[in-house]
Amino acid sequence: MKRGSIWAWLWFILGLIYFFLPLYATFDFSLRLKRGVLSFAAYENVFSDERFINGFTFSLQMSFWTIVVCLLLIVPTAYWVHLRLPRVRPVVELITLMPFVIPAVVLTFGLIQVYAKAYTFFGTSLPSVLSLDLFTLPGLINLRDAVAARAPITLAFPIVLIAAYTVLSFPYMYRAVDTGLRAMDVRTLTEAAQSLGADTPKILWYVIFPNLRAALLSGAFLTIAIVVGEFTFASLLVWPALGPYIQLIGANRAYEPAALSVISFAITWATLGLLQFFTPEQQGQIAGAR
Amino acid sequence: MAFLELTNINKLFVQGHYAVDNFNLNVESGEFISFLGPSGCGKTTTLRMIAGFETPSSGSIKINRVEITNKPPNQRQIGMVFQSYALFPNMTIAGNIGFGLMLAGKKNDEIKKRLGEMLDLIHLPNYGDRYPYQLSGGQQQRVALARAIAIQPQLLLLDEPLSALDAKIRVELRSEIRRIQRELGITTIYVTHDQEEALSLSDRIVVMNSGKIEQVGTPFEIYNYPTTAFTASFVGQLNLMPITVADAASGTSTFNGIRLNTSQPTSLANGTSAKLALRPEEMNFGKVDGKNLLDGKVESITFLGSIVRTRVDIGGSMISVDLFNERKITLPQVGEQVTVNFPAHACWILE
Repeated sequence: MKRGSIWAWLWFILGLIYFFLPLYATFDFSLRLKRGVLSFAAYENVFSDERFINGFTFSLQMSFWTIVVCLLLIVPTAYWVHLRLPRVRPVVELITLMPFVIPAVVLTFGLIQVYAKAYTFFGTSLPSVLSLDLFTLPGLINLRDAVAARAPITLAFPIVLIAAYTVLSFPYMYRAVDTGLRAMDVRTLTEAAQSLGADTPKILWYVIFPNLRAALLSGAFLTIAIVVGEFTFASLLVWPALGPYIQLIGANRAYEPAALSVISFAITWATLGLLQFFTPEQQGQIAGAR
Repeated sequence: MAFLELTNINKLFVQGHYAVDNFNLNVESGEFISFLGPSGCGKTTTLRMIAGFETPSSGSIKINRVEITNKPPNQRQIGMVFQSYALFPNMTIAGNIGFGLMLAGKKNDEIKKRLGEMLDLIHLPNYGDRYPYQLSGGQQQRVALARAIAIQPQLLLLDEPLSALDAKIRVELRSEIRRIQRELGITTIYVTHDQEEALSLSDRIVVMNSGKIEQVGTPFEIYNYPTTAFTASFVGQLNLMPITVADAASGTSTFNGIRLNTSQPTSLANGTSAKLALRPEEMNFGKVDGKNLLDGKVESITFLGSIVRTRVDIGGSMISVDLFNERKITLPQVGEQVTVNFPAHACWILE
């Protein structure tokens, strides 16, 4: 064996230990809820807790909507910037970095300041989209009916939370899309599609989105990972997400948080596996002469 | 009325220079026109204005008497082939060729039928299910051509379609393009910087330089009767010799005191210094009565395959003499004193 390859293996094994040892310790600890025996009791507790299931489902829903909003917002924007306004790319990049610059707490209070004030809407006072009893009303209520009934309008849909999560996912989603767009000849593909009769929505749908599949999947995966584990927004805006639940359990129990950590790792890896599975094979050069 | 009318087209770029300067051209239906010129001469910009990817600063573009100057590109019914092929990587060959038809709302069996015709036309039957990355560059470009003509466009535009391919494929595909164009009788505009492509393909060539049209004519006219110094030197090889006009009426001039006859009069006054243009392939070695004769010394000999290029120093001017290669050719030696001859009709005074 060559010297170089011994060192390579050494670093590789060190890396593995660094990564897996704490994970193994956590896993081992999570099995010791019952004194003297190894059992999955902590996991049973977690899975039998309705709040966990609800929180997890809620967070998954939130990540779904966040991804939808993100895609609708970022793909056309990044596409347009690539095609027509390459000079503003640094500016857009800077904007997408905002969540790194502004702490989540500040961002949340900013959102509350702006949106929690009562304001009038068709002559009716619209108390707040943040009202705390929102969750009791399922679905979007019909605005016109509410206005007609002169009832206070509340939206039982966490719009502000999704908006906040969208901002939070900007850096990951934008970068993924940007990289995907750089890998293809956006301008020529657009022109080719135009000459064949496609308008901008059709170009986005038939040409840009499909060729961004790998990039979008990785962006979506990162968004799920972020949203499912997010604590600050959900907690301050009082939504029953997984983050606040984990925090609650962590503060009150010993073994269940370890079990939760292992579960979240498993979910993350499962998502990664799915990502690998759905990512198209290497297609060589994307449109263009070499 | 011409099929495609380009009238007073100007394209002013931000920096204040004209990319295209007062461009006027009428193209007849079914014609194959090439825009030929060096890079930056405005040929691609003109093509992109016809396609609708750029808007002229002024002027009008009409197809079949319909004004299209400000029509968006997706409503122009113009097929376009790009240098980089620009096939959609996410679609199969069938998907690519059928894309325009699908957008036009054609029925599935109609698309299928047309697809079969197109694949036969480009000699790639059974390739429908493959993806672009599984095809060679030449095959991809043929698919791009099929995709552009599948929609039965009014006009076919090709933007240096062969530049990314290697020499052999280039020549093959060149005749393929011409065959398909003839078969369909589709009006075509072809942008290239390669004079050989332009000369071999076109019905007419538009030679462009710094945004302006230098000359429009058949390949024969462009090569043999260039009207400007630029055309003369850009298309084909050209020798330029400094001369003095001796007799404007007969087109006679002198070079270092030697009389040189041309066959056409010049508008320059007697005694004016000018340039005499002559093609290397119209010159030969040896003393021949009745031809223009010049003495010089052989500086170099370059073997180019079908021709042999000799550089001869004639009174300080370097002149190329091209000889057709043959197995029994006798070539002068480097350093040898030679006499170069050329007929009067082979040279002309540039104005």
